[in-house]
Amino acid sequence: MPTLTVNRRSVTVGDDATILEACRVAGVEVPTLCNFDGLEPWGGCRLCVVDMSLRTWDDDWFKMVTACNHPVEEGMTVVTNSDRVVATRGVVLDLLLARCPETPLIQRLAREHGIEETTYQRNPEPTDCILCGLCTRVCDHIGVSAIASVNRGWGREIAPPFNEPPPDCVGCLACAEICPTDHIKFSTSSTVRTIWGREFEMLRDPATGEAVITKAQAEHFAKRSGVPMSYFEMSDRSKRLKTAKTFEELQVVK
Amino acid sequence: MSDQTCVELAKAEEILDRYPHEEPSLIQVLQDVHRAYNYLPCDVLVRVAEALGVPLAKVFSVATFYKAFSLEPQGDTIIKVCMGTACHIRGAGQLVEELERKLGIGPDQTTEDLAFTVKTVNCVGACAMAPVMIVGEKYWGGAKPARMETYLAGGTDDEN
Repeated sequence: MPTLTVNRRSVTVGDDATILEACRVAGVEVPTLCNFDGLEPWGGCRLCVVDMSLRTWDDDWFKMVTACNHPVEEGMTVVTNSDRVVATRGVVLDLLLARCPETPLIQRLAREHGIEETTYQRNPEPTDCILCGLCTRVCDHIGVSAIASVNRGWGREIAPPFNEPPPDCVGCLACAEICPTDHIKFSTSSTVRTIWGREFEMLRDPATGEAVITKAQAEHFAKRSGVPMSYFEMSDRSKRLKTAKTFEELQVVK
Repeated sequence: MSDQTCVELAKAEEILDRYPHEEPSLIQVLQDVHRAYNYLPCDVLVRVAEALGVPLAKVFSVATFYKAFSLEPQGDTIIKVCMGTACHIRGAGQLVEELERKLGIGPDQTTEDLAFTVKTVNCVGACAMAPVMIVGEKYWGGAKPARMETYLAGGTDDEN
């Protein structure tokens, strides 16, 4: 259980905690765009940079690291608001704003850092994608890997193979829901869901008729978990109704 | 992907047989496939993904990341014109223009008979020989537009 100081506040965290987690325990807010608690940290957005020093280092020696994927150590000193950290974060936001000048989330974060307009060349083709990799990582995590980053440098983007409707996609919307900027577009009707240019058949609750989940996703989860398909086609409302009915039968509630 | 196979998969199968069917083999397999077909046909990528147990999206990601891989058919001979600072100053631009006149194709294009592909590269690390042009495996230093015919013919006499 290492003890470290974050902005002069002493905190004790678990052995495998990261600096970001320690900051949160200390009640210090560190901005981040590519971090998600359920996924392996990646250090892609560079927004969570902090200054860090170890006890064995010279007093005035600090190193800048990304808080999200740097493990804590006993006696570590973390400073999240030093001048150079604030300046670096400003540059990162400035660059993000140049890439995504019309994205509300980026505009808000930049404004909080005192950046109203980017000082760099504004992207002539504004996009909402910040290439944080959350969508591809969550897709890998659920064992589908339907999308990945393609090309490189300024042409890099997130896309399905051959830019065609992805054959491996199950239409679960994990990528769209995790996307911090809502870049990934989809639509769901009571029968069909469309995402990444592919259409998915929706399973409907036999009792209420609500569209619950795509057939492909139910099949994927059923295969992975061994839970029968019928479990997935039940909507939340249906499950509640069923529970209520059970309770009623047991005469717990009158 | 389509069920129809539009390219011969036999060469790919032979390549796949040479490597363990696991993720770390991916780049070597892709390199060999590229050498065998002169590009990465989409059917072969699908087959490679399936054989190595790597998601197709990952294979596509790797195939598009490296400049050494092409998803479009390449010419039998690949011409690389160095556009580094030294070569640029010593007239690499004229070499590209001359190629365009001779072959009718610009950078990153392939002649219709699949004989040549022209590419511009950033620096081949032979600045002392500027301007440098690589035709197939042969390096031409101090390349001159007037000698383009010789270069394209794979000229045997060393004029360097």
